[in-house]
Amino acid sequence: METLLHPVETLLSGLHHHHRTNAKRRRVFRSVKVLNSRNHENPRKCQCFDLYDQLVPYKKAWPWQKSIVEEKKALIDTNQDCADTVILLQHSPVYTMGTGSSEDYLNFDLKNAPFDVYRTERGGEVTYHGPGQLVMYPIINLRNHEMDLHWYLRMLEEIVIRVLSSSFSIKASRLDGLTGVWVGNQKVAAIGIRVSKWITYHGLALNVTTDLTPFNWIVPCGIRDRQVGSIKSLLKDREDGKVDDDLRLIDIAHESLLKEFSEVFQLQIEKQTVSDPNILKAKPFKRLEC
Amino acid sequence: MASSLLWASRVASRLRISVSQRGFSSVVLKDLKYADSHEWVKIDGNKATFGITDHAQDHLGDVVYVELPDLGRPVSQGESFGAVESVKATSDINSPVSGTVVEVNEKLTESPGLVNTSPYEEGWIIKVELSDAGEAKNLMDSDKYSKFCEEEDVKH
Repeated sequence: METLLHPVETLLSGLHHHHRTNAKRRRVFRSVKVLNSRNHENPRKCQCFDLYDQLVPYKKAWPWQKSIVEEKKALIDTNQDCADTVILLQHSPVYTMGTGSSEDYLNFDLKNAPFDVYRTERGGEVTYHGPGQLVMYPIINLRNHEMDLHWYLRMLEEIVIRVLSSSFSIKASRLDGLTGVWVGNQKVAAIGIRVSKWITYHGLALNVTTDLTPFNWIVPCGIRDRQVGSIKSLLKDREDGKVDDDLRLIDIAHESLLKEFSEVFQLQIEKQTVSDPNILKAKPFKRLEC
Repeated sequence: MASSLLWASRVASRLRISVSQRGFSSVVLKDLKYADSHEWVKIDGNKATFGITDHAQDHLGDVVYVELPDLGRPVSQGESFGAVESVKATSDINSPVSGTVVEVNEKLTESPGLVNTSPYEEGWIIKVELSDAGEAKNLMDSDKYSKFCEEEDVKH
């Protein structure tokens, strides 16, 4: 299994491990080391499947991700280097649950669900994906970055925080113990990952112009007392209330996501075409009435 | 700090665990074998018990869910047979040796936190019947594993 490699704070904590408190585990990452300076001059390459303007059904994207993970694991097993990969897309409406997700957080009967529901191997509770939400699946080899899952989660948050700040002047933050990116009481980006032999998959979902109604039919991420927001809803709440149209917002957020991803992980993006015809059959994204 | 280190190493020697003086401080038990993916195995004749190490659980943080395999399932050395989920991140648990699952720790379904509070005892994950006892020689002993963890920590 992969571990979260932070220096162990005290010797005694190792010996008295029967009496630990949650306080110790709720490590707060107010400042985050982002880069290894050694990578600045010669960044590693990252192949990028950019389907940000497509609605890809979850049942196509999910096995696709897993096949990329398997390819990378096979390379690693034979001691070969593998380039990192990132997939960007939007999903058709779908609910996904994590490995240990509770059905208590679904406010509907599974037999009569408003959309397909998938139980996946990622961490975290139930969430919704749909049009207007940019989903990023980094499939990266943490051996080439930091072999530390907490670091990785904080980096995903960092990407979104930078996108919101640099492209939309929205000040977002982390909340201690509640992975994701928050603006006040509203979660704008959800995060859930899986790691297998240090290869990451699943990732982050940023609500740009998402219709937030389907979140009302679940308890997103199992958190009852907070809300879900989108970039569009946050911009509307501002004093001037002026908002670009949906496609423009998606374009801006998409460009910014890729830029910040590339900077945070020090990777040089190389766009790839999708070779699997099944994925290409995804419907082009048209403005949806939502 | 120095006195607490001294105290801890005395306690450690009484508890038969090895502690490093250079900052690596997780509990490593002498009579277990270890895989580089941070699982431990206790071999008893033809049977073996697996779990994840104190070092692993400490770095993972609160374990909220443990995915257990079905009884009778074959497991292979180095291959994933289950998973542990901490906050928002799920990781594979790899099998330190090959065999067939004969028992799973059902208590982890209700109390996944046992992996944190008692990684070597109550937090054991599965028991297997070994198919190749010779595979254990590929694993690390406690001294080697302690060094391995130190080196891995130093890399970051």
